[in-house]
Amino acid sequence: MIPGDLRRRPHVVLIPLVFVTFVAVWEAAVRLWRLPDYLLPAPSAVARALVAGLASRLYVEHAWITVTEALLGFLIAAAAGIILGTVIAQFRLVERTLYPYVVAFQTLPKIAVAPLLVVWLGFGVSSKVVIAALVAFFPVLVNVIVGLKTVDGPKLDLMRSFSATRWQTFRFVTFPNALPFVFAGLDIAVVFSVLGAIVGEFVGSQRGLGNLILQFNTALDIAGMFAVLLLLAALGVALHLVMQAIQRRVIFWAQPDHVIGA
Amino acid sequence: MAALTQTYVSQDRSLVAALAEVTLDIAPGEFVTIVGPSGCGKTTLLRIMAGLQRPTSGAVHLLGRPVTGPSRSVGIVFQDPVLLPWRTVLDNVMLPVQVLGLDREIFRRRALELLALVGLSGFEGKYPHELSGGMRQRVSLARALVHDPALLLMDEPFGALDAMTREAMNLELQRIWQDSGKTVAFITHSISEAVFLGDRVVVMSPRPGRIADVLAVELARPRDLDLMASDAFGVYARKIRQALGPRGMLE
Repeated sequence: MIPGDLRRRPHVVLIPLVFVTFVAVWEAAVRLWRLPDYLLPAPSAVARALVAGLASRLYVEHAWITVTEALLGFLIAAAAGIILGTVIAQFRLVERTLYPYVVAFQTLPKIAVAPLLVVWLGFGVSSKVVIAALVAFFPVLVNVIVGLKTVDGPKLDLMRSFSATRWQTFRFVTFPNALPFVFAGLDIAVVFSVLGAIVGEFVGSQRGLGNLILQFNTALDIAGMFAVLLLLAALGVALHLVMQAIQRRVIFWAQPDHVIGA
Repeated sequence: MAALTQTYVSQDRSLVAALAEVTLDIAPGEFVTIVGPSGCGKTTLLRIMAGLQRPTSGAVHLLGRPVTGPSRSVGIVFQDPVLLPWRTVLDNVMLPVQVLGLDREIFRRRALELLALVGLSGFEGKYPHELSGGMRQRVSLARALVHDPALLLMDEPFGALDAMTREAMNLELQRIWQDSGKTVAFITHSISEAVFLGDRVVVMSPRPGRIADVLAVELARPRDLDLMASDAFGVYARKIRQALGPRGMLE
């Protein structure tokens, strides 16, 4: 890297520097004070656990379960949020009727419902899918409603001047206009769906990364827990990046500052 | 084509009279400019003419028929271009064709011709954010003309543009109007723009909005920008300023 470039974008160096310093201090502290592994494992121990877990495919199998649960939940949340949000935003009567329920349900901490869902749907994948969907649903719903309502007057006047039907106005103007908001909602939802799946696995499961954390917790394998947390962080970042890539393709015309709620 | 008549428009907005007994006839093919200070009800008048808003009392007639709602015979250019950012230039111009259910093939050719007319050949595939303000307003003009309306309504279309671009757009609009033979009602708060473009200038005064004066501008066409510095032009501008009264210092 040339020095001029470095001066303009110092964070390119600072970001890895912070990471390296953090890991080094952590490693040094653990060795210096001889901290036991069941309290705080050294980064090297975490790395070993991560490599071993990935090599034995143990983590991969559990991660696959969690990803499946999260993605299925996300897809259900996205579809339901977009459909219900559209109906609420388009029909005043539906909005007036359902809005109190939406607000009441939104303020309810969704994960509190998780034990109930495990009782109803069992320890398998389906209860986690529903919890993930439940947690991911509201960010989509709220953003769809806000997005469909923020269409500006002049665009509606334009459509009205052609005597456009309600459906035409929706298809040509209101819906595409709402897409930046919809994507802001989906971006939150994809991260929330992983949260929902993990919480579901905590409450009652046989497999999945949340279950693995509980197993390691019982065995006091703290290095293993850290390794799974790293895996979850990487998973979250990956899902977020995929969403961003899709978003850039679909709403290429939107300025980043048009998107709110992220 | 029957004469366009517009008679007795008045509107109450929460008991504030925005327009009081505005009566105006616009002849087919005529270019009428409407000038007045902010808040004189010019935009309200245009919205009523467009059928976007109902007058409290009175009626508008277009081609001999009363206006009860938006009409296919009207094309509107708004203050802002109001382009859809997710559509290409050509698709923006084609929007009225799609909504009105007109023949796509025939009107696609017309849309391309119009884009050439407004000087945007080669920009069909671009998106609005890739264009300058003046170019966007030209797209908006092409869109207003694509379904071949008899009447073109323009609401301060060049108000947001810089002075030089604005003069260039005025010249182009004159040319396009002469080529197309449309009837134009053009709202502006610029006296020189009103005189330069108009066959007649309707001077409006505010609170309540009413017509203070109507001036026929007898300057030969095509008019060029040098004309703005001429004595004859100055005489019209002064008359308008007088009609606007002491509040006439606008620009």
